[in-house]
Amino acid sequence: MIALYHPGTSVLHRMPAGAKVLVFAALALAITVTTGTVWSLPLAGVITVALYMCSGLGILTLLRQLYTSRWIVLVMLVSQVIFLPLMDAITNTSRVLVVIVLAALITLTTRIPALLDATDHALAPLRRLRVNTAAIGLLLALTMTAIPVISGFASQIREAQRARGVPVRPQRFVVPLLVMSLKHSDELADALTARGIE
Amino acid sequence: MGIRPTFSIRDITRIAVFAAILAVLGLPGAITVFGGAVPITAQTLGVMLAGAILGPWRAAAAILVFEVLVLVGLPLLSGGRGGIAVFAGPSVGYLIGWIVGAFVIGLIARSGNREPRWWRTALGCAIGGIVVVYAIGIPFQSLITGLPLAQTALFSTAFLPGDIAKVIVATLVTQALWRAYPRAFEQTVRSTPELRVAAYNKSSDPE
Repeated sequence: MIALYHPGTSVLHRMPAGAKVLVFAALALAITVTTGTVWSLPLAGVITVALYMCSGLGILTLLRQLYTSRWIVLVMLVSQVIFLPLMDAITNTSRVLVVIVLAALITLTTRIPALLDATDHALAPLRRLRVNTAAIGLLLALTMTAIPVISGFASQIREAQRARGVPVRPQRFVVPLLVMSLKHSDELADALTARGIE
Repeated sequence: MGIRPTFSIRDITRIAVFAAILAVLGLPGAITVFGGAVPITAQTLGVMLAGAILGPWRAAAAILVFEVLVLVGLPLLSGGRGGIAVFAGPSVGYLIGWIVGAFVIGLIARSGNREPRWWRTALGCAIGGIVVVYAIGIPFQSLITGLPLAQTALFSTAFLPGDIAKVIVATLVTQALWRAYPRAFEQTVRSTPELRVAAYNKSSDPE
């Protein structure tokens, strides 16, 4: 599986994941609150470009992020231009774009385990409510290992049906996928129980 | 329905596997329109199926687990999207709607833990999978994009035909799964003998 993370050693890479998320939340809030003022969006744009440069990701990564958001921009612009004045449509679309590209910065500079740890940390207060946070960690790990397995089932089914010339219909694909996956889930449960995890 | 669900290891693996199914339904080959700017993919079919098969608590948990993995940066949403950016964009309301919607589908389709009936599944998927998801998604979209509520709602109707088709597919799949593998509908969160007897009768049916 391709993670979205870009390795690096910048300040942003070394910042704790939780802190990064909080700083982003503050920035996003500031952008949204000051959206009426003239300087707000250009300033946010400059900050975003500066952050991409100083984190060592470079202008190319920034452009790639903008390209990834092209459909959101297109759909937003079209729907807004129909109903709102042109200036408002452009302001709204750029605001959403800046926030999305800023948020992507967190994902680009933080390893998945660090973000999982931060999630675990954020969930800690739930322990007081007698929520089993260890089970949440197990769940996340199990899901990540199950994705390649189920993706394998999916290609098995596709190949088998293509070999027999079965016409493609959603239910003909989904039903065998569900049966195989749910059987796998029960086997997984038996295996875990056998190893003393309950 | 208990206030606080307790999950057994069998529930945990079901939740994990269903979250993984959601991820697989978003891989290339699944249907995408507009490059997935707004969710119209096989993944909403997965949300409906989760509710109809797993029941409210496990379905909501499966969607939540899937979305946490997207949040921490796995590119699992259709079109290979992932990361915090997705939750900062206009479709965040739909993602929240998926969790609540799956719960509502489970409540309607699987309440009382009876054997699945097609009309309950269809009703659940229509209310949970369309009404609830839109009711949460559209206000968020309107708030984030700055387009008034009425116009946003009008634009969202473009996705209605696809979602209605998904309700039909989800219902067909659920009924077919009940015939093919009734064990899929076992509830260990709140197990009642009724369903086990029904599942047994079904599986020993000579047809």
